[in-house]
Amino acid sequence: MKTRVLVLGADGYVGRRVAAALAASDWAEPIAAGRRAGKGGAPGRITLDATDRWAVRNALAEADAAVNCVAGPAPVMVAGARALREAQDARPGGPLRLVHFSSMAVYGSAEGPVDEGHLLNGDLGPYAAAKASAEQLLTGREEVATLRPGCIYGPGSPQWSVRIARLLRAGRIGDLGVAGDGCSNLVYIDDVVAAVLAALRAGAAGGRAYNLAMDGAPSWNDYFAAYARALGAVPLRRIGRRRLMLETSLLAPALKIAGIAGRRIGMADLPPPIPPSLARLWSQDIRLLSQRARDELGLSWTPLETGLRETALAAAMAAGRGPGQPGKGG
Amino acid sequence: MIVDANRIPHGATLSADLCIAGAGAAGIALALALMDSGLDVVLLESGADRPDERTQQLYQGGVADERLHTSPDRYRVRRFGGSTTLWGGRCMPFDAIDFEPRDYIAHSGWPISLADLLPHYPEANRLCEAGDFAYTAQDAFSRPIRPMIGGYQGEAFSTDTLERFSCPTDFARRYRRRLENGPVRVLHNANLCALDGGGAGTHAGAGRQVGPATVRTLAGTAFTVRARAYVLAAGGLETARLLLASPGASGRGLGNAHDLVGRYYMCHIAGTIGTADLSGASSVWHGYEVADDGVYCRRRLALRPQAQRRLQAGNFVARLHHPRIPDAGHGVGILSLLYLARPFIPYEYGKRLYGDAPGGAGAWLAHLRNVAADAPGTARFLWHWLRRRTLAERKFPSIVVHPRNRRYSLDFHAEQEPNPDSRVTLGEEVDALGMRRLRVDWRYTRRDVLTVQAALAELAGELRAAGVGSFEYDPETVEAEMTRYGAYGGHHIGTARMGTDPRSSVVDPDCRVHEAGNLYVAGSAVFPTSSQANPTLTIVALALRLAAHLRAEYGARPAGAAPAASAPDTPPITPLQEPQA
Repeated sequence: MKTRVLVLGADGYVGRRVAAALAASDWAEPIAAGRRAGKGGAPGRITLDATDRWAVRNALAEADAAVNCVAGPAPVMVAGARALREAQDARPGGPLRLVHFSSMAVYGSAEGPVDEGHLLNGDLGPYAAAKASAEQLLTGREEVATLRPGCIYGPGSPQWSVRIARLLRAGRIGDLGVAGDGCSNLVYIDDVVAAVLAALRAGAAGGRAYNLAMDGAPSWNDYFAAYARALGAVPLRRIGRRRLMLETSLLAPALKIAGIAGRRIGMADLPPPIPPSLARLWSQDIRLLSQRARDELGLSWTPLETGLRETALAAAMAAGRGPGQPGKGG
Repeated sequence: MIVDANRIPHGATLSADLCIAGAGAAGIALALALMDSGLDVVLLESGADRPDERTQQLYQGGVADERLHTSPDRYRVRRFGGSTTLWGGRCMPFDAIDFEPRDYIAHSGWPISLADLLPHYPEANRLCEAGDFAYTAQDAFSRPIRPMIGGYQGEAFSTDTLERFSCPTDFARRYRRRLENGPVRVLHNANLCALDGGGAGTHAGAGRQVGPATVRTLAGTAFTVRARAYVLAAGGLETARLLLASPGASGRGLGNAHDLVGRYYMCHIAGTIGTADLSGASSVWHGYEVADDGVYCRRRLALRPQAQRRLQAGNFVARLHHPRIPDAGHGVGILSLLYLARPFIPYEYGKRLYGDAPGGAGAWLAHLRNVAADAPGTARFLWHWLRRRTLAERKFPSIVVHPRNRRYSLDFHAEQEPNPDSRVTLGEEVDALGMRRLRVDWRYTRRDVLTVQAALAELAGELRAAGVGSFEYDPETVEAEMTRYGAYGGHHIGTARMGTDPRSSVVDPDCRVHEAGNLYVAGSAVFPTSSQANPTLTIVALALRLAAHLRAEYGARPAGAAPAASAPDTPPITPLQEPQA
């Protein structure tokens, strides 16, 4: 009999991939739980509000294990973690094995090499604080394995592939000089999914946390340069301090407002903003140490070249052109 | 961390594994490369974040012939970042032939080869922000790029090698944050004034041990740095000055037992000459191409190694150039505009643009007429210059004029033969810190003239034979043109040359001073020959090679362990904050 795995947040980028990988396995079957209605007809798919502890409790009753991929606004992440904890505690057969998605954001403004024992600062805005709070609600419990991925890239990754590709093609980012010296802490989506599957199958989780970032992750500058070449978005532009400041202080608020307004009138394809938090991340020299994930989960990291090739190929197919061909504004 | 040396208690002793003097291209590259080594590194910098006249005056000195060499306080900058705060950014590696002993170039030959530097050039390129280490048109571009001279395939000259351009990167501005957050202690306003000779050494590799270092600030603070090893990374002129200022075992200066320090002083032989009429070529492109990495690249005419050997000439490159700016007869608006902007152009760049041409009212009027007559072209140029140079962080490297008649002057840059009589010594005057000032006696040799003469004659013959045009020049004026502005400014080479024999060289192949077991030199002072190439990229590559040597030689401590010469005597110091822009 297959292990039934409840995937909370299954409509998100990571959740979708995790559910697909479980479905493709010979030992598990996913129960994909998403907030949005309309996909309820898919096999193994349920509609569920992850902040509703009764709903979560009912869903857990049907499962043998769970993965929490819930993302979204900060209060939702915290409320979801609280609901999950309460549902676990109330589960008649005892709490299930749980893989909880946290983030490197929990380390906040830390710099330098950071392992899992580092203080959870969560001091860089509501998202980081919410991730830290959510983690504190769930970690330390024997049944929970916590994953702290760096920046997840791969085919269709909205944050670190699709958005970056649009910015590169538009010439809005490139070689950022000192502003792009931070470590990207990239991790390929397939490696993240592999980490989930390994954590589900491992012995007692023991409340362990695992950083997930490829060994020798490139600086943001190097990532942008390599990705731009893979996309054909060359020549790479040098973006000066003044230009980046204009982006973060003037263009970003305007695009944010335009985005909100645009969604209301059905315009979904506005250029992505570069908020100050994003620019700050690009210069933050935090380097996740992922030795534990390698040793205990048996992970090996996809080389950047391979990951970028797959990502660029997917982007080209989505845009209806060959890889390495310049896109709009490229 | 970055610290103002004036905050260090007077009379204190700082302990470290390694003390580097000079935070320019070499010193900063070295410090960055050692940040994760576990070695406790102190980096002394005479200046600070901003230019300071009193500090810059420490570079003043005398010259034997003012027509041949500018004052030593020109073309080098005594501040954090060193002369990278001034440089033009032209990058290219040395060629294999540069390292070879050549019987027609006296005192030529390095004890290392290009292969020894190749592992370090790519990282040097990155630090210089010159993109990929790809210096031929084929390597740098996946697409075909415009030929320099359509229809010309030279046997003696190649147009396939490239020069690549750094932003140009000011190493202090670019790497300040890394240094600020890293373990290296960067001391601003810290002038290395002397290195004690020390007693007989015990360090493997023999030689006497030097140290401690005497450090002074212009505000009067004095302290010492006691390190296991020292690196002089203060530039080709100042390194010689520092060596000569410390008596050493011989009493004649550190490393100077055989009277070699300061000798073999080279710059480059450069000038602009003649008229290349390329109207017969199918196309001409002497401007820039942008590589995929965003770096400006440019072809040039490079004398091939086999041609150098056949002609018994030193290394040589040439570029198609615009007419002489002061001569308003060129009729080009942007060149005249540049002439009118003369008061705003830094001395170091203006010298070769304007030379010693008089600037009378007649000349000004003639240039004004050119600007007015060529107003649309001038406006286009200004717009381009504003966007791609003034406001851009990666700057368009230089003015390129495309004359309709395809007539160009020829700009050349050639290797200078090592010459023991071309030298720097200590003069009698002293600076504000009591150190004797430099006296520069730069000289060139007959071989230098022959190199340029032979290369120009060869080029003229090849262009004519290829049917692409002609190159007309007066062979009698070669020597006058190559010395019109004197030694090429900013390239200070050879004053502590590398070799295996202490009787003919100052440092060994590891850049360690032969007679001092724990003293090293980083920078162009160690180059035995000068190549055609601008020196910065190779300075950085050699610094990275030296960093690898120092790691192996002085070893990394386990993380968290105290430095070997650890420091109960090291006073607490407060880091400097980044200045507001």
